[in-house]
Amino acid sequence: MATTTPDLISGARGAMAAERVRVNVRPALRWIGVFSFVAVLGYLVLMPLARLQSKSFADGADGYRRAYTDSRFPSTLGYTVGLAFGSLAIALVLGTLLAWAASRLPHRLRLLRVLPILPIVVPAIASVIGWAFLLSPRPGYLNAMLRKLPWWSDLTQGPIDIYTMPWIVIITGFGLTAFVYLFVSAGFANISAEHIEAAQVAGSSSWGVFFRVTLPLLRPTLIYGGGVALLLGLGQFTGPLLLGRTAGINVITTDIYRQMAQTPIEYGVAAALGSPLLMFGIAIVLVQKFLLGDQRRFVTHGGKAFKSEGRPSKLGALALILYSFIATVLPVAALIAVSLTKFWSAKIDVSKWSLDNFRRIFDESGITSAIQNSVTMSLLAVAISIPIGFVAANLLLRGRKYRVLRTLLDFIVSLPLGVPAVVFGAGFLLTYTRDPFVLYGTRWVIVLVYVTLMLPFTVRMQASAMVALGDGYVEAARVSGSGIVGTNIKVVLPLMRSALGGAAALMFVLLTHEFAASLLVRSSTTQVMGTVLYDYWGNGTYPLVAAIALIMTAVTTIGVVIAVMIGGSDALSRL
Amino acid sequence: MSHVRIEGLTKHFDGKPPTKAVDDLHLEIEEGEFLVLLGPSGCGKTTTLRCLAGLETPSAGHIAFGDTTVFDAKRRVNLSPDKRNIGMVFQSYALWPHMTVRKNIAYPLRARRIKEGRLGGWVEKIAELVDCQNLLDRYPAQLSGGQQQRVALARGLVARPDLVLFDEPLSNLDARLRDQVRAEIHELHASLGFSAVFVTHDQSEALALGDRLAIMKGGRVEQYDTPEHVFEDPASEYVAAFIGMGNRLRCEYVAGRWVAGGQPIDGAPLGAQPLPGPVAARLRAEDLRVSPSGQPLLAELCNIQASIIDSEYGGKHIDVTVDASGTRLHSRIPAGESGSWARRLSKGERVTVSFDPRDARLFPDDGDRAAAVPPAAAADAELGPSGTGSHHDAVPAGATAVPQAAEV
Repeated sequence: MATTTPDLISGARGAMAAERVRVNVRPALRWIGVFSFVAVLGYLVLMPLARLQSKSFADGADGYRRAYTDSRFPSTLGYTVGLAFGSLAIALVLGTLLAWAASRLPHRLRLLRVLPILPIVVPAIASVIGWAFLLSPRPGYLNAMLRKLPWWSDLTQGPIDIYTMPWIVIITGFGLTAFVYLFVSAGFANISAEHIEAAQVAGSSSWGVFFRVTLPLLRPTLIYGGGVALLLGLGQFTGPLLLGRTAGINVITTDIYRQMAQTPIEYGVAAALGSPLLMFGIAIVLVQKFLLGDQRRFVTHGGKAFKSEGRPSKLGALALILYSFIATVLPVAALIAVSLTKFWSAKIDVSKWSLDNFRRIFDESGITSAIQNSVTMSLLAVAISIPIGFVAANLLLRGRKYRVLRTLLDFIVSLPLGVPAVVFGAGFLLTYTRDPFVLYGTRWVIVLVYVTLMLPFTVRMQASAMVALGDGYVEAARVSGSGIVGTNIKVVLPLMRSALGGAAALMFVLLTHEFAASLLVRSSTTQVMGTVLYDYWGNGTYPLVAAIALIMTAVTTIGVVIAVMIGGSDALSRL
Repeated sequence: MSHVRIEGLTKHFDGKPPTKAVDDLHLEIEEGEFLVLLGPSGCGKTTTLRCLAGLETPSAGHIAFGDTTVFDAKRRVNLSPDKRNIGMVFQSYALWPHMTVRKNIAYPLRARRIKEGRLGGWVEKIAELVDCQNLLDRYPAQLSGGQQQRVALARGLVARPDLVLFDEPLSNLDARLRDQVRAEIHELHASLGFSAVFVTHDQSEALALGDRLAIMKGGRVEQYDTPEHVFEDPASEYVAAFIGMGNRLRCEYVAGRWVAGGQPIDGAPLGAQPLPGPVAARLRAEDLRVSPSGQPLLAELCNIQASIIDSEYGGKHIDVTVDASGTRLHSRIPAGESGSWARRLSKGERVTVSFDPRDARLFPDDGDRAAAVPPAAAADAELGPSGTGSHHDAVPAGATAVPQAAEV
């Protein structure tokens, strides 16, 4: 064909010849670009942790000495480990059973499978407060109801005391169940129906199939999901902080907060306390990288997704509904009930309900500005996170040239998942109250924390969307004459639109929930919903607390609805 | 269009263990030539293609399109795919699902800023050539597999590139569509005259489309020649096996006669002059005849005794598997009239297998079948990587022999 367009071809050749001259400079410039990108993220993630460590090692590791010789430390450690493993056990059993139940739902009830995820949608702090309203020894609604039963009728309080270790474990376990459920459900989706059917045809009963085929195939998922849940359990903050204080139940994270909340701030002790959690988190991140290896291996898995069409189970549907009622509906109902009353008491008197508390919220500028702050800072952080995640995911998947930088980047963006938010909050407070960046008291410090915390999510979600996209579309564009930038704009972005929208909305949800890190880096002028809620809880103005918690839940629900609308009904499971 | 030159192309993949996907490869593609890279999976043909496209960075070597160097390891030249004037057709089609067919086809024109093409109706013209003019406003998801591959073809050709690369474009189509699209590619090449590199593992595609074939093995070119020469004079046993000579008969010249597996070969001599050491005779199933045992032998053919293992009815032909002194041989014989002898074959029946020695190709048997010939080996000694084709081994002749090979 070139014979018909000779000028065109020679033009192209000229361009190629010109390119040859430039070629040698480009890789260097590109390397510098990649290096600075990784360096900036590295500063963001590693600097706070490094500064904390240097504090704890100051004066001959004075921080470590004081932290670990404190007479209360053994009990703190015991509570931490107990809480982590106790809630992990609850979450593993419940999460696996629920995922199994969800996989056996009749087709027309399949929407029920989102139910176990809903506890994630309700902010942790709101649901903990909801449980407190239900199970406080004296005025808790459920306790009041249980006392009506004949064998407890003589009690004036109890029979359940939520401010004790077992109940803190149970409430925390409910929260972790949703995560395990997500992991295991995803694991189910990766088991091809043929594996199951082959076992059935070979003569296994459905229980036999579950124990001999399904569960062994799920083993990697369970180990990985369990590891993450254990990490989350060790980093639990909200439950022990709100419920453990009265009975003197301290875990490491609440102890860190205690050290940070007193004057003068005990950075060294706080940092030393965080070290075991930090080590464990890094270990989990490294093990996970080692086990999963190259993400590109997961490009395709043939076979139909797991559908246990064998015998849809009504019992499964019942289990899901029951769990959802207990874990989601009850605490939210308690919040609603308290928010409509003047005083929180065991008696529910519908005739005295009013919306006064909500009116009061909107009159108090502190609360409205906190809501505003939460929304704007979350949006801002999402807007920053998405492009960072896009670039990082691209580098991780296609930057084969930058071996060392890529490995480093992979570690850096995974780290925030392994480090408890409280530790990050402490590190940020330390880093940004002094040179070179004095940002404390501005919104930027919160935005930076949020961006850092979201790194694993934005990178992971976008990387998995890119992996699902495969290399074909990109390569087709490249050989058609598109440069890297053009390919990304005209081909990759449009194809990833729904994934990006879903990721953005989900990060918004996670950020409006954020409590632990916000609590540490907030100042009186930069409150967010979670911190304001905590302050009112401390003051004991419970009806107002309930109203704020509901508003917080409403804001995140809007985020979830948008996520589902943009990203499809699977958006939630991408968490 | 331009002349494409590949010199010393090498590509390592690190991993466990590290592999050499392409090993010191030399190829020249003349202007307007249709080159087919043929080989089993893992032979490096797709990697070679992707190196040409710039999608893979070679570890060493030099690639030039005309007088433009697009890759040179020593001078650190590596043009990105968009800077090479190429078109490519993928096995998975890779049509962008968010663009209509028209936008998909027009994309290379937009990306390469070919105004003349956008205004000159190149899109419509090429769409008509591949018979997709009625599909232009649909989305890829609304098309059948054959239609999608035609659109992909149009997209690869629309910008009139120097070189069109085909990465097994027919493997995802069902058998009938495959023949149809193959014929279309052949016609398009004849009328447009682009240079092309076509990767496949299907010998019939290769024979039908290629001006020249490069049969690859372990990252090297085993034979580089026209389809006729490759088909008739395979350079090595590996090529012979790949190009349809599935029967392998291990023979030896002992005490003045040819022997296969302890059984003498009656009739014509297998080779004109005796070769030292054992040889492997390669034969196509179509060239093996089967006749009732005990009939008079034809003196111009090589004859060996065998027993029937199985026979499959195939319509016009019958596929017969026989055992000749421990060697399995496959023969494809005409089915004949209903009730003919060929249709009544039963397991264990004694038969005579015969073939014309001119149809057999002899290769030194070094124990490693499908392997290259050791330099010391006699008569044919050609093989080596790259270049030169044909005329080696394959020596018709005759004496007695007995089989004892294994088929491939």
